[in-house]
Amino acid sequence: MKAMNRRKFLKGSLLGGAAASVISKRKNADASSSFGGYPDAMGVLVDLTRCIGCRSCEAACNKEQGLPAPAQSFDDLSVLDHERRTSEGAYTVVNRYEIPGKDHPLFRKIQCNHCNEPACLTSCFVNAYTKTPEGAVIYDATVCVGCRTCMIACPFYVPAYSYSSVLNPVVQKCIFCYDTRLKFGRPPACVEACPREVLTFGKRKDLIKIGNQRIQNHPDLYEDHIYGEKEVGGTSWMYLSSAPFDQVGFDTDLGTQPILSYVKEFLTVVPMVLTIWPALFAGFHLLATRKDKQKKEEKSEI
Amino acid sequence: MKTLIANGKIPLATHYNDDRSAKWSVKDKLLLGLSLSEYLAQAFRNPLNWFFAVIFSFGGYVTITRFIFGLGYVTHSSYDYPWGLFLGFGLFVMVPLSASGFMLGTAVEVFGRDDFKPIERLALLNGLLGYLFAVIFLQVDLGQPWRLIYPMFVSLGPAAVLFLVAWHVATYLTVQVAELVPAFAEMMGMPKLKTFIKSMILGLTIAGIILSTLHQGALGALFTYAPYKVHPLWMSAPFQWFHYFCSSVFAGLSMLIVVSTICKKTMAWRCDDNFLTSLDRLTIGLAKGATLALITYLVIKIIAIAHDGDWGYLASGWGQWYMLEMIAGVILPMILFTISIRNNLPGLARFAALIAVLGIALNRLNTALFTFNWKLYQEIPHWRELVITITVYCLFIATYRFVLYRLPILYTWKKDEEAAS
Amino acid sequence: MEQIQKYLYGAVLVSLLCFSPLQNFAVAGDGPDEVEIDSLAQLYEPVYFDHAMHEEVTDSNCAVCHHHTLGTQIEDENCMRCHAESGATDEIACQECHSSNRFEAEDLARIDADKTLYHRDKVGLKAAYHIRCMNCHEEMGAANGCQDCHSRTDAGNKFFHAGNYAPPESDKPAGGGH
Repeated sequence: MKAMNRRKFLKGSLLGGAAASVISKRKNADASSSFGGYPDAMGVLVDLTRCIGCRSCEAACNKEQGLPAPAQSFDDLSVLDHERRTSEGAYTVVNRYEIPGKDHPLFRKIQCNHCNEPACLTSCFVNAYTKTPEGAVIYDATVCVGCRTCMIACPFYVPAYSYSSVLNPVVQKCIFCYDTRLKFGRPPACVEACPREVLTFGKRKDLIKIGNQRIQNHPDLYEDHIYGEKEVGGTSWMYLSSAPFDQVGFDTDLGTQPILSYVKEFLTVVPMVLTIWPALFAGFHLLATRKDKQKKEEKSEI
Repeated sequence: MKTLIANGKIPLATHYNDDRSAKWSVKDKLLLGLSLSEYLAQAFRNPLNWFFAVIFSFGGYVTITRFIFGLGYVTHSSYDYPWGLFLGFGLFVMVPLSASGFMLGTAVEVFGRDDFKPIERLALLNGLLGYLFAVIFLQVDLGQPWRLIYPMFVSLGPAAVLFLVAWHVATYLTVQVAELVPAFAEMMGMPKLKTFIKSMILGLTIAGIILSTLHQGALGALFTYAPYKVHPLWMSAPFQWFHYFCSSVFAGLSMLIVVSTICKKTMAWRCDDNFLTSLDRLTIGLAKGATLALITYLVIKIIAIAHDGDWGYLASGWGQWYMLEMIAGVILPMILFTISIRNNLPGLARFAALIAVLGIALNRLNTALFTFNWKLYQEIPHWRELVITITVYCLFIATYRFVLYRLPILYTWKKDEEAAS
Repeated sequence: MEQIQKYLYGAVLVSLLCFSPLQNFAVAGDGPDEVEIDSLAQLYEPVYFDHAMHEEVTDSNCAVCHHHTLGTQIEDENCMRCHAESGATDEIACQECHSSNRFEAEDLARIDADKTLYHRDKVGLKAAYHIRCMNCHEEMGAANGCQDCHSRTDAGNKFFHAGNYAPPESDKPAGGGH
């Protein structure tokens, strides 16, 4: 009886392994076609030249997403003295950057950039992330196991994790106000709250035109680059700046390839190993043990 | 135990007791053929057990707090370093060191190298327990460990590298259990079960090779998700999976040398003559395999630097750290192995193996923790994180020892006829 | 304080007072003396903008704020390309051109539908106020903090977790991590 159970168990797991390999093969085919983003995806163009660091966007985000009360008031600008990142209590934060040779600092709002081909999404082994046609990268907390690979994968250091929770720790990040606003065609809360329209909301493809036009109209004001137009395959949130991007906290080393393209090299190996190895090693086995068999046969003949 | 053997006790290795009057019961087998009081007495005499007692009472408490107060209580809750020691050490170091199972399985079952048979089961056990405890480390680290099966059955993300790791580690664990079932079957007296497994051993072994190739590589490929976070010297998207796979070969073999040495030194009573007499020869044999893998590894590491054009980084501080890792962890054991093979010095090979094991541990920790976020600050793990890691590793050693004492891994289960004679 | 509060402009009154058929060609001095701006009424008390005072400050150069809409000569070369001689317009008040429902679906659809529209990137009403007012205040060294012009309502304090809603001093930053 024991043996029987064991056998079933074994068979089941072997079948499982085979199924897994079939699935991974199929998905590889998907991964090899390039995506480039949904045609009508929305986005936000962040114009650093307009931002004054008032933190209204942070307050709006806190209210909209029902986040815990902040440690300091949102009108307390002393928090800008230290560089901050997104956290489980703040999906967006504004940082201040002193620019050498300029009288005024620049302020940069950070939040999830909602990549066209999100690294978090491609790294998630329970498919918790979805890139919606509206452009948002949303997250399903009910299936998240908490491996935090998405946090490893995000090139922008955006996802945070509610480590403090014992029973239901989840990844926490900006979701473009998808549930409450974007889904209904409305701009996210931060965009609505921004007093100086640092944040321009619109179709991503229109925003690229707008960004280029602003650069063209004010070449002396803007750096000739829209950060996020091409970075890691393009992001829904993009930035214009009057200072070189590396001086305002951007990682300018990120290439134009989506993170997935770095992983593909391995993913293409998977089906090869799965199909070639069995035959190869079975062949080795036959070659290596042939002599023994011959010997045995010879013996039996004698 | 040594004392008991000196007093004339024979370690249990048969179904029947010494005078063949009765079969050993399961309880006898668990107690190594000793009475309960004898067993406890020998356990209390062992200083390692006292060490474990201290570790488990304090570390066990800290480990429990992780599940009561959450990850935030035992780690620094870093968003920038989402993976700490639990995965950096527990997964990324444990798994390559457990590659011995599929290496020896391949040698014996596929290539027909029956001369490695005496150490095959130890290799398989080293693999099984290494993986098992890698999963236990993972369970400590996962935010919601009770959802471990989600990637299998609830919500599938098959394009993710981790999906592959999850499935392959799970499947491979099953394969390794199956590969060790014969040892269990011998001890429990279930010959049919053993025959059944033996009939499919070639299939299991080849499955083991496939799964190992892929998930050892996949662990490396996990870092290709962070091509901008890991230092370029430790990160090469096209080669990463091969670096990890290739290094797991010598890591597994070296770990096997280390473990077999520990067995020989600390539990010789449990090893049979076959194991003890062939160990020196086997050590040199394993060293040969490890050396080949080390050479291959060194070459592809250099090719990767050339391919990615990372020569410039070698002059930096990171470059010196990298060269230290390569010289001390790869080139040095390679040279020592070579000398030991040429002059037949198993002792030197054992020392080289220890260095190689430490070298590979350094490589994995470098990738996962030290050079990760090389453009940011360095995260120092919370002391509780360290304590839990040590505790789980001690549990690994204790389990290892428990199994080695009992299952016919280091010794051969005597057939009834032999026992009678 | 009160005087400062009267700085900013109210779209509502501007439109009431300025937008009449008679005023096809408005000149400085014809504008309202004071404008109440209440478009942020939820979080802030209305702002009373002293239009007359600002006319003085700008030497009655309407173009400083109103672009070309009052027929004043403009200087920006980019604008000159089209508006050098476009003269005064029917609509002068800020809110006539700068939409108050910026980025709402219907506003985006309106821009989308008008293929000939040149000013596709025209800021909304709130940003028009803030950019215009604040940039000038910055230049002139005038008061420029949020509450220099707006006094917050109770709802505003709640929104910013300030005033009566300020977190206690001893609170540590929420959440862990770096």
